[in-house]
Amino acid sequence: MEKRELEGAVVSKVREVISSITNAKHVDEVVSALHSIAALLFPLDSSLISGSIEECYRDKVLRVKIPSDEERHDWWDAFYRGVGFPTLARFLLLDVAPNWLVCFSISAQKHAYDVFFSHGLVSEVVQILVPFLQQNGSDGLDVSNVVSNSERLLVLCLLENNGVLQLAREFGGPFESKGFTNERIRPAVSRVAQIVASIPDKARMNTLTSLSSHVFFKQIIVQLLSLAEERDMNLLEKVDTLDEMDKNGALLFVGEMFSRISRRGFSELLSSELVPRVLRLVKKCLSSSNHSSTKELLESNPESMCCSRMMEAIRDPYIIERISEQILHQLATHHADDVQAYWVLWLLFHRNLKMQASIRSMFVDKFLLWKVFPITCLKWILQFAVHECPPGNSMSGHDRPRFSNIVERLVTAWSKKEFVQTAPIEQQAYISAALGLSLETMSKEELDGMKDSMHLILQGVSCRLESPNDLVRKMASNVALVFSKIIDPKNPLYLDDSCCGETIDWEFGFSALKKPHCGEKIVERTKTSELPSIDKDSDFSVNKERSISVKSKKKLLNFDTLDPDEIIDPASLNLESDIDDDDDCASENSYSSSDSSLQPYDLTDDYSDLKRNFTQLTDIVAALRKSDDAEGVERALDVAEKLIRASPDELKHSARDLTRTLVQVRCSDISLEGAEDSAEEKRQRALVALTVTSPFESLETLNNLLYSPNVDISQRIMILDVMTEAAQELAESKILKPKQPPTRETSSLISVVSDTRPWFLPSSQGTPGASSWKEVSGTGAFQNWSNTYERELPLKPNQVMKGKTRRWNLRSPFAEQNQMEFSHNKFPMYAAAFMLPAMEGYDKKRHGVDLLGRDFIVLGKLIYMLGICMKSVAMHPEASVLAPSLLDMLKSREVCHHKEAYVRRAVLFAASCVLVAVHPTFISSALLEGNVEIASGLEWICTWAFDVVESDTDRECYMMATKCLQLHAEMALQTSRALESAKSSFKSSPALPSDASKVTIKIPYLNKD
Amino acid sequence: MNKKKAAAPPDPVAVLRGHRASVTDICFHPSDRILFSGSADGEVRIWDTLQHRTLSSSWIHSASHGIVAVSSSSSLGTNKFVSQGRDGTVKVWDFAHAALSRSPVLTIKTNTYHFCKLSTVKNPKYFPTKELGRPSHIEIPDDRRQDESAAQSCSQSSEGLQYVALSGENPSEVEIWDLKSAERFVRLPSSIISSSSGVCNKDRGMCMALQLFLPSESQGSMNVLAGYEDGSMLWWDVRNPGVPVTSVKFHSEPILSLCIDSSCNGGISGAADDKIVMYNLDHSSGICVIKKEINLERPGISGTSIRPDEKIAATAGWDHRVRIYNYRKGNALAILKYHHATCNSVTFSSDCKLLASASEDTTVGLWELYPPA
Repeated sequence: MEKRELEGAVVSKVREVISSITNAKHVDEVVSALHSIAALLFPLDSSLISGSIEECYRDKVLRVKIPSDEERHDWWDAFYRGVGFPTLARFLLLDVAPNWLVCFSISAQKHAYDVFFSHGLVSEVVQILVPFLQQNGSDGLDVSNVVSNSERLLVLCLLENNGVLQLAREFGGPFESKGFTNERIRPAVSRVAQIVASIPDKARMNTLTSLSSHVFFKQIIVQLLSLAEERDMNLLEKVDTLDEMDKNGALLFVGEMFSRISRRGFSELLSSELVPRVLRLVKKCLSSSNHSSTKELLESNPESMCCSRMMEAIRDPYIIERISEQILHQLATHHADDVQAYWVLWLLFHRNLKMQASIRSMFVDKFLLWKVFPITCLKWILQFAVHECPPGNSMSGHDRPRFSNIVERLVTAWSKKEFVQTAPIEQQAYISAALGLSLETMSKEELDGMKDSMHLILQGVSCRLESPNDLVRKMASNVALVFSKIIDPKNPLYLDDSCCGETIDWEFGFSALKKPHCGEKIVERTKTSELPSIDKDSDFSVNKERSISVKSKKKLLNFDTLDPDEIIDPASLNLESDIDDDDDCASENSYSSSDSSLQPYDLTDDYSDLKRNFTQLTDIVAALRKSDDAEGVERALDVAEKLIRASPDELKHSARDLTRTLVQVRCSDISLEGAEDSAEEKRQRALVALTVTSPFESLETLNNLLYSPNVDISQRIMILDVMTEAAQELAESKILKPKQPPTRETSSLISVVSDTRPWFLPSSQGTPGASSWKEVSGTGAFQNWSNTYERELPLKPNQVMKGKTRRWNLRSPFAEQNQMEFSHNKFPMYAAAFMLPAMEGYDKKRHGVDLLGRDFIVLGKLIYMLGICMKSVAMHPEASVLAPSLLDMLKSREVCHHKEAYVRRAVLFAASCVLVAVHPTFISSALLEGNVEIASGLEWICTWAFDVVESDTDRECYMMATKCLQLHAEMALQTSRALESAKSSFKSSPALPSDASKVTIKIPYLNKD
Repeated sequence: MNKKKAAAPPDPVAVLRGHRASVTDICFHPSDRILFSGSADGEVRIWDTLQHRTLSSSWIHSASHGIVAVSSSSSLGTNKFVSQGRDGTVKVWDFAHAALSRSPVLTIKTNTYHFCKLSTVKNPKYFPTKELGRPSHIEIPDDRRQDESAAQSCSQSSEGLQYVALSGENPSEVEIWDLKSAERFVRLPSSIISSSSGVCNKDRGMCMALQLFLPSESQGSMNVLAGYEDGSMLWWDVRNPGVPVTSVKFHSEPILSLCIDSSCNGGISGAADDKIVMYNLDHSSGICVIKKEINLERPGISGTSIRPDEKIAATAGWDHRVRIYNYRKGNALAILKYHHATCNSVTFSSDCKLLASASEDTTVGLWELYPPA
């Protein structure tokens, strides 16, 4: 039969069926009409339908002529590739489905209706069905019925009948016979892929879970991957080159499908399905072969080759990047070992890597320099893309031009100071690890071959060693260690005492660090307010100093003690007491026996109790100055704090001298190895005591020394630490005072300013006897913008507490807590002396002092100290006086936009402290008086914090800025309330300054007008 | 030579607490189980050494000056003791049934304001102590020619030897006072003689420690051993107040304490330097010879004492330790560590059973060491 005739026959048959259905009065007429055409197309058993329809139609159904297989095949072809199917399908979906389908019996529905879709040419079926998902009811149709029917059919066709797999088969193989030409195949493939991928978007919400994107795509992926398991070599023949691959419809379809799925954000799904399969394959190969033949074995395995081709079929570079990232992560979660991971990567990417430069640069540039992977993934990336050989067999050093090129790029990126300042810490660790791992494989000759590398490495190490962050310093020391091992394997350079093993921890303990770290920080947070705080890196310089001195000491010891030629006088080894004993015993024996009762006791004596014999401050000063008498200095340090705390009368006079001397003592020189810390600590405690007991005198000296060229950076840091601690101590000094009864009159009469309660806590009015407010810790990871506070209320008279414990005494519950209150902050009167001189000279560059540049750690510490001062002066009038000048300092460009995150963090901390410290009523009264200085300062905090949130690279900065904004919002709210109440009370007076109304206070998320 | 491990030094058998300031001097009662202690705030306490309790406490010198020394001796009588304050007075107290009289029996204004502890007469233990009767005639030695007769009269009774030696108003001089008449008995060196004999005490500096004793060889005339600021030691005989019997210099720093053994044939001295010296006194030739020199690791011995049975000697050190030596051989026997401040004084009880140590840490330690056979 000719093709055209056949098509004509199909069309006329379709027309006949449609017209008979249109005229049908009974459902069985419809079924039999549909059956008549279905029997021509599909191998059906008519008896399955006949059981469910009435007698008169049953004969008609059974009488239908069953064509031969060949005829049926031709009919099927003509039906689906011609106009027959679209016409009938549209009719089936729009007319039969709403009008008749409900009446169909189950078997009739299956064999006379669904069959057209489930056994059809999937590409056509899909193209017809998918548009119906978005049918809108313009012509009064039962839309929901149509749509749900289409959804059902899609699930049936694509998922239950492995339609996607069929699609791939349809595109695969020799296409000419199926009417496709090379030019047409690509658009057709991509159109179908597009339609399939869009199904979850078009499916209605809350209908079928199998059409929700996650489940749907997962099914598709599984189907497509099963293609590989079929080992259908026909599909893959002649696809060794990219050109050939273009002609292979199946692979094209798979590639298109994968990239579209990944585009929709499901690359993780793809890799999680793909990786276990490939890993299994690789494991099988590895177990069945020795390592040398793995490559051949994998290449001869059709399944593995199919996987490899599928990856190649994905062309979109962005998608490839996403997928390969996901694959790396998946490999890490599956705990693949180095060999397995290498072969998985090799299988999936080795041809891409060879043939496509973009893929290579993705691995070598993006994955090494821009992305951050777990350290194991980094090793695989290096092995696969850089070394390009399976782990274990290393290539000889000379033919690796690509390798040294990569290392050079790593070194250049790593050594830049800007990189240290701006890159997030994870990335720094990653690149340091990448550099270190590749350096580990290098020889001295290779290193020499690279120009500048040595210089750059040293530069990178030195700029990292200055960092306040312990991790960054560790990176430097690790790289330096590897570097020194290349230069001279026998003499490795340990910059840090902690790293002394053979293997270097390139993870830098990062996995442990991701949990909330730094107990200190937590403690500090709980102290007074919820201010974010910066890390305390005070030990930094001290450690550095120490580690160096330790080294030198070790060397000295070695030189001193090990002199084999030294002549030792045996007599000198004997203890003197022994000689005495000999003498005594001898004489005793010759003596009369009457003295035998006088046996000597144990005459050994330790002098530990005799050390503390400094009783005068001047003695201490004198002893500290004698730097050659280490023991004396140590003893002086031991007693210094106690003596100072005793606060003798002469303290005022010797405070300056003592301060200067204490600062200039070199603890590392005097104390024994390992005991430097305690000496440092004693010195610091003594200084704190001094600053607390006679603040003005010692502060004068401290401030002078802070900017003096004669002290080094560690001393400067120590000075600032001392001032910080002293400020806190002064602020926390407590004095008992009787509490006023919290009656309504007093609380309204007494100014809020004298209240020691922080302004952000709710008012303490209410039931007497209630406990103090506590912040409710928020649940969930989100930064919530409102704080919740809670407090315990006493029981009402008619309430009875149920429980086991009882109180037997008669005292009233309020008696203990409300009679007295602790509060006296001694700090405010000294605040100016603490802050103002320290703020004066920070921006001047002098000999040996360069806070804005090299000594940024000192600057950070200084700002932190100022923040603590501000916090300590909180709620006192001094705060609003000092705040503007502190804000002026923070505002200056070099400070708030400092290159080092450490400084920015400190600035954020100080800004938050200012927000907490200044009472809203001060701000409102300042505004009413027309003084806008402080308001503008606070507004600057807000804008700047927004700026940081938006653009800062450092994560901690970002978090602190968020917190800062939150505080600012609270503060602004309180201030506006205070302003409201002030305005209402000022209403009678006509002299309200006009300025006040002009100033706007920004309240984020509150005033939306 | 067998070297068995020596036992750890003993702890005090009792610690007497109660003083509020540094305990400057202690003294056992010559026969009863009573201890006197004086402190830097002028308080004197009387302790029962059996029950370790305070029997009596009173401020007998002004708190701002404090007590320099307390002393009780069989020569004073069993119900008396002497206290010396830095307020320039020496007071003699009567006590009965552990109750102290409200006012002193006798107050002598010596106008001395130094740290030198007074000394009562030490006479050899075989000296007859039972003789009763007080010397009826006590001559005031304004006239040096009467010295000898005065001394002779002294020798007749131990009970009657109520003399104390102390560093004088001019601290380079030693004065001996009669407690009965409250008058000065003699001054050493006697000023008239000293000018002629050329003994220049100015070089020696102040008298820092002294011991008054009555050797049997001296026919009853009192002798004084006095240590001076420059480390020298003079041996005086009151019969010859112008010129000392002998002068030796064992120490390089001020002598802080002296002690003569009960036979008056030797003694021990401690100074501000780092050694303890034991010496013999040869009464026939009038010379003092060094017997043993003990070097210390840390300087400063503020008190010394020799047990009446002459077996052991104790020293109180600035280094908070009490050291025990074999008095005959001079070897170290024990280092007693209890006090945590400078030790001011040590003394043995007359029955040799107890050692008391007084310290700046306001406590008095009682020790039992090498019990007498």
